[in-house]
Parts: sequence; C-alpha cells; structure tokens
Amino acid sequence: MNVLRSVLFAASCMPAFSANAEPVTYTIDASHTKVYWETRHFGTSTHRGRFDTVEGSIVLDRDKANGEVSVSIATGSVSSGVPALDNVLRGGRFLSTDAYPTAYFIAKQLHFDGDHLNSLRGEFTLRGVSKPLSLNASNFACRVDAMRNREVCGGDFEADILRSDYGSTFGLPFVGDKVRLLISIEGVRQ
Amino acid sequence: MKKALLALAVLSLAGIAQAETATYAIDPTHTFVTFEAKHFNTSTLRGRFDKKEGTVAFDRAAKVGKAEITLDTSSISTGVPALDTHLKGKDFFDAAQAPSVKFVSDKFNFEGDKVSGVAGQLTMLGKTVPVTLKATNFNCYNNPLLKREVCGGDFETTIARTQWGMDYGLQYGLPDNIRLLIQVEAVKQ
Repeated sequence: MNVLRSVLFAASCMPAFSANAEPVTYTIDASHTKVYWETRHFGTSTHRGRFDTVEGSIVLDRDKANGEVSVSIATGSVSSGVPALDNVLRGGRFLSTDAYPTAYFIAKQLHFDGDHLNSLRGEFTLRGVSKPLSLNASNFACRVDAMRNREVCGGDFEADILRSDYGSTFGLPFVGDKVRLLISIEGVRQ
Repeated sequence: MKKALLALAVLSLAGIAQAETATYAIDPTHTFVTFEAKHFNTSTLRGRFDKKEGTVAFDRAAKVGKAEITLDTSSISTGVPALDTHLKGKDFFDAAQAPSVKFVSDKFNFEGDKVSGVAGQLTMLGKTVPVTLKATNFNCYNNPLLKREVCGGDFETTIARTQWGMDYGLQYGLPDNIRLLIQVEAVKQ
C-alpha cells in the first residue's frame, strides 16, 4: 500500500499533474465499519454474524478514478450473538483464529462510473489462503461529518465467497458453503 | 451418514403432509431480528437483539397459524458498545421503561404449503402498530442433532420508526425507515 501511495503521490507531484489533487487517505472509522456475514442453515434460515474489530484505510485518487481499499479483520472478534457458537467458529473447523488471527481484503482496482464507485477488485485472505475477489459497491458517498468537521467517505461493499475455497468444509452441506460478506465502511479524511 | 440424514429428512417431510396444528418453540440460537439503518446515506448500520423467546403454531393443511416473539431491548448488539448504550437509552428503545419489543401474529399467508407472509401487531415503546412480514426461504426439515422437526426461514419488512414515536436524529439525517431482517427457526414440541 505504501508503494502504491508513494507512486501515486509522486505522479501527483509531476508538473503535468500539478493542477490536480493528490490522492487522499481516509482512515477507517471503527465505529461505522463492520464486516457482516450471512450463510444458509440447513437450506432454511439465513444465519448472520459479524466481525467487530476491523481496521484499514481507503485511498481515493479522484483524478485517475482509482484508489485502494485495505481492510484487516480480527477473526477472533467474530460475533454471532451465541457465545457457544462463537467459540466453535473460532476453532479449527471454521476460522482457526489461533493460527490465522487476521483476514484481509486488499483492493487496488476501483471501478468508477462517473463519480459513482461501482466495484472493487482485489484479494481476500482467509485462513492463510488468498483468492481474487471482486466486491460490488453501493451507496458509496462522501460527506462532511458535522461533529468532526472532517470529510467522511463510505458505503456498502458485498461479495459471495465459498468457505471451502479457503479450507473450511466442516458441516457441509447443512451449514452453507456460500458465505455472503457485507462490508459497511466509513473512513475519515486524514 | 449423509445418506442416512437425507433419508431421515425425506421421511419427516412425508410425515409433515398429515394435517394437524403443531406447536414449535423458537430456537434462540437460530432466531434473530436484525435491523438495518442507513448512516447519513453512506454505510449501512446493522444491529440485533441477542435475547428473545417465542412460539409458533401452524397447520399446513388448514393454512392457519399464529406466532409470538418477544425481544429483550437491553440485549441490543451492534458491535459498538457506546452505540448500544445510546440505542438502549431514551432516544431510541428506552429499555428501562420498555424492556421488550413484541410481535404477535394470528394470520399466516400461504402459497401452497409454504408460509409466504405473516401479518400481525408490533408493540414497541408502548405503541402497537400493524406490520406484515414477507417470508422467504420457508422450509421444514428434520434436524439430525435435535432429532426433531424444525421449521423456519427468513422474514423481512421495512418499518417507519416514527410510527412508534421513535424520532431521534431525523433532523440530523438519520433515517425513519428501518429494514428488519428476521431469521426464525422453531423446533417442534
């Protein structure tokens, strides 16, 4: 990320781009950033949970219609509302949090339609396995936060993964293989 | 093992075809009410109620049913403790004065033998307002761990919180419309 940022920064300092704004970094606001997950239980109801501890940043280079989103997720912060289930989820059959305390999503390709962020392409790392992943973006917008008097950008990102792709096969097919990730994200301008 | 479970499931589905009103107790580990609110038209905030109880009774042949679910407002969980405290306070759920939210239904809509909607009354902050939930994924299966029939699915609706007098933050741009996503699984008694 630092490499990309410095490359973008260098580009923005070049004379040809001197009139343009440089990339802007937004640090994730933990109180408005969560990774939620959904999976089907016995082909019937949708079971939901979330990860409570998420860190990261958003870099927007508006002139180039690009940027970077990086999110790190503390897998041990999984919360389903059922403490006994959380313990099972932290174990080796699902998240293996002792061996893999962090999951990552890093996107270095942001696709815009005009000013509207449509999708992000990047890589998702879970249980030490990295796979390409595209997230659909919706509601992405920036506003000036009245309480902080700072610009805040954020929205909702969404993607489906197969947990078996990342080595978690316990309980298939009764506990769904397909897991929908819903990422609510807000970042504060630095 | 899997074949045996599937065979059990098929047998139990055959059994369900017989008409009778059956009573089911909500499985609290697979029953959650999740609310969604847009935060200043950017990200979506979600929260849930961790303590709840309820019962469902229905008869597929007669196409009737009733349900009752109670949520403990002090068990609200968003993953942000300071926000939970605010939500439990007077500005929102006022958990001290209104310790529960209750939904009671005596009208199940069916499409074929599947529940397609549930109409009832939602009581919150001492006010009762009619609400209809749309059902998706309704299904019954034989749970191999519980060795019982389990029925459930997903239900959803969007409510305007001001109908219950919850109007905090509207002037700052917090939304009136709140989407409710309800997971229900209930175990045959």
